[in-house]
Amino acid sequence: VAADALFYLTAASYVVASFLFLRFLASGKGDVGRLAPRLIGLGAALHAGHIVLASLVLRVCPVEGIHFPMSVASMSMCVAYVLARKRLRIEVAGAFIAPLALTSLLASRFVGHGAEPGAHIKGAVLPFHVTSNLFGVALFTLASSAATLYLIQERLLKKKQIDGVFRRLPPLDVLDRAEHRFLLAGFPLLTIGIITGTLWAQRVEAGAPAEVLRAVFGYVMWLVIAGVLFLRAAAGWRGRRAAYGTLAGFGLAVVVLLFYLLRAPVTPATVSAISSPFVSPPAGGS
Amino acid sequence: MSLPVVVVGLSHKTAPIEVRERFAAGSEILPAVLARLTSRPELDEAMFLSTCNRVEVLGLPKIDGSGELAAQAASRAIREALRDHIGAATVEELGEYVYERSGEEAVRHVFRVAASLDSMVLGEPQILGQVKDAYDAAVAAGALRSHLARCVSRAFSVAKRIRTETQLGAGTVSISSVAVDLAKRIFGELADHTVLLVGAGEMAEQAAKSLGQQAKAIRICNRSFERAASLAAHFSAAAAPLEQLEAELVLSDVVVASTSSKTFVITRDLVKRVMKQRKGRTLFFVDIAVPRNVDPAVHELDNAYVYNVDDLEHEVAENMKARQKEVAAAEKIVEHELGEWLRWARGLNVNPTIIALRAKTKGVLVAELERSLGTRLKHLGEADRAALTQMIDSATNKLLHAPTTRLRNAAGESDGNDLVRAAQHLFDLPAAPPPDASTQSLPPPADDASEPRLPH
Repeated sequence: VAADALFYLTAASYVVASFLFLRFLASGKGDVGRLAPRLIGLGAALHAGHIVLASLVLRVCPVEGIHFPMSVASMSMCVAYVLARKRLRIEVAGAFIAPLALTSLLASRFVGHGAEPGAHIKGAVLPFHVTSNLFGVALFTLASSAATLYLIQERLLKKKQIDGVFRRLPPLDVLDRAEHRFLLAGFPLLTIGIITGTLWAQRVEAGAPAEVLRAVFGYVMWLVIAGVLFLRAAAGWRGRRAAYGTLAGFGLAVVVLLFYLLRAPVTPATVSAISSPFVSPPAGGS
Repeated sequence: MSLPVVVVGLSHKTAPIEVRERFAAGSEILPAVLARLTSRPELDEAMFLSTCNRVEVLGLPKIDGSGELAAQAASRAIREALRDHIGAATVEELGEYVYERSGEEAVRHVFRVAASLDSMVLGEPQILGQVKDAYDAAVAAGALRSHLARCVSRAFSVAKRIRTETQLGAGTVSISSVAVDLAKRIFGELADHTVLLVGAGEMAEQAAKSLGQQAKAIRICNRSFERAASLAAHFSAAAAPLEQLEAELVLSDVVVASTSSKTFVITRDLVKRVMKQRKGRTLFFVDIAVPRNVDPAVHELDNAYVYNVDDLEHEVAENMKARQKEVAAAEKIVEHELGEWLRWARGLNVNPTIIALRAKTKGVLVAELERSLGTRLKHLGEADRAALTQMIDSATNKLLHAPTTRLRNAAGESDGNDLVRAAQHLFDLPAAPPPDASTQSLPPPADDASEPRLPH
């Protein structure tokens, strides 16, 4: 009951924050510098409470399986937003963060049940692998939010429509810088996730075609993000190109996640054959 | 009828910058433009005004008969002169961009322009200086001599009065300050960014003032290095000659261009090379020059943005809201001054009639006196004759005091001309000749004492 209450309170915080941000973007009304980000912060705290309580009740490690990591990732995203928003001046990015956090929270409730990893595939690497990936995804979500806002701002500036929404969004260079910093922060975590995923996959043998495809998407995603960062440093790929690259990388991350969430229930036999470089291993039940 | 002043021109309200820059005339070609205008027999006086936001010709028609026809002929002459100025084939090419005012409307327009009530940035101070420069150039070219000169001179007084009596010019809004605000919304703060001023004229100075201490550094690049260095010294900036423009662009983030160049100083190819060296860092151009200094194609390049004065218009309007309250007070002053001007201008038609009436009356009385002095009164001595002459002067003054006063008062009214015609008819006076600048008295300006820079 307490876990459910925290769940609903978390959802309510995210809903109100989303409403405040979207109203501000649409009409310029309201002050989103204080209340709305604080609501996201409150939501993140309630979210954390829900995760801890629910995992204790279910006796599941929050970083194993599918159910909780999704929830932890969205909560981490909110925490990162709250910590970085003032320093990076990206308060309005809450317009993406709050609805995304809400969606992830609700999805974690209804998706992935019964897909917890079997005891035979759990090990020391697994939590490490999942934790780095989920924090990485949280930071990439923030980066892609900044990239989306950048593209909106850039388009308005190129079309010389510098009133209305343009005034409400953060400055163009601020968004570019925020996107870059979130990518820089998330990339080492993603790299750790790839390495630990590869190490873990060596323990299993051949995989199902869908799992192999998921692994391929995971590696391609890593290459895309690495490419964005490298080209920015070496060839001056900033602004629009970097934003598109970031969104492409994030799109691939979403594809990997969808593979993970929408796969058919697998048996212990097939579980042992998975080689995932990106997300925690699937399970056919405990 | 008042003076049939004619204004033909185009402004930011009627023509985009691409059109306005075709009409713009720098100081080097202004004498030729004025010579073209003064060579027209339809024009008695003319003035050419060219600013960032407007190009206008003020003309006073030569009146031989109907004032209305003269005004139409003057308007046609001005349009043809403008056509020749831009090298257009026909007057129709000027098309919908050109507006025209005549008579009272034209004078009101001149007053409003000088007072910055018709400017993109309401109350901006530069326009008055620009009108004064145009005035000086026209006077030097012999194109302004009398009534039109007086009209423009009066406009200076009106502008000064508005500046003194209203808050229209209060605050720091200018194209430059608006550009700085926009730059902040691209870069966040300018404290980590360098601003480059291309050109070292008045607009560059305004931009430097607007920036104040906000930018990390200010750099000034100008064709005349001495001028750049002089301006740089005032703002703790770095100066460079125009030959180093490419290197300066690499170092800068915000570029304010305001040179008087007729061609693009900053081209697409130049910026393409610069962006490579900058590794794609955002570069924001504010082109406040007319003709434009920055090729609009630069705006198509990644991470490069070009905004000209027209693009900033909406932004300026937002900043102008506080000044709108002062507009009504300023317009009231314009209307009051316009009324004074019209009263004087109508008086130009009355004065010849008054002079003729006095001359005729005195002539009749003097003739009668002389005839009497030659016959019945020839025994009178010098003292008596002088007394009689004085008596006639006094009688003339007393007799004509009321008609003169009423004619003068009627001059300011719309039916003044009717009374003039009645007097001419009743006393068999000749019709008033067209106002002659050299013989008419001019009205006192609104405030000569407070007009230290009044052109002469």
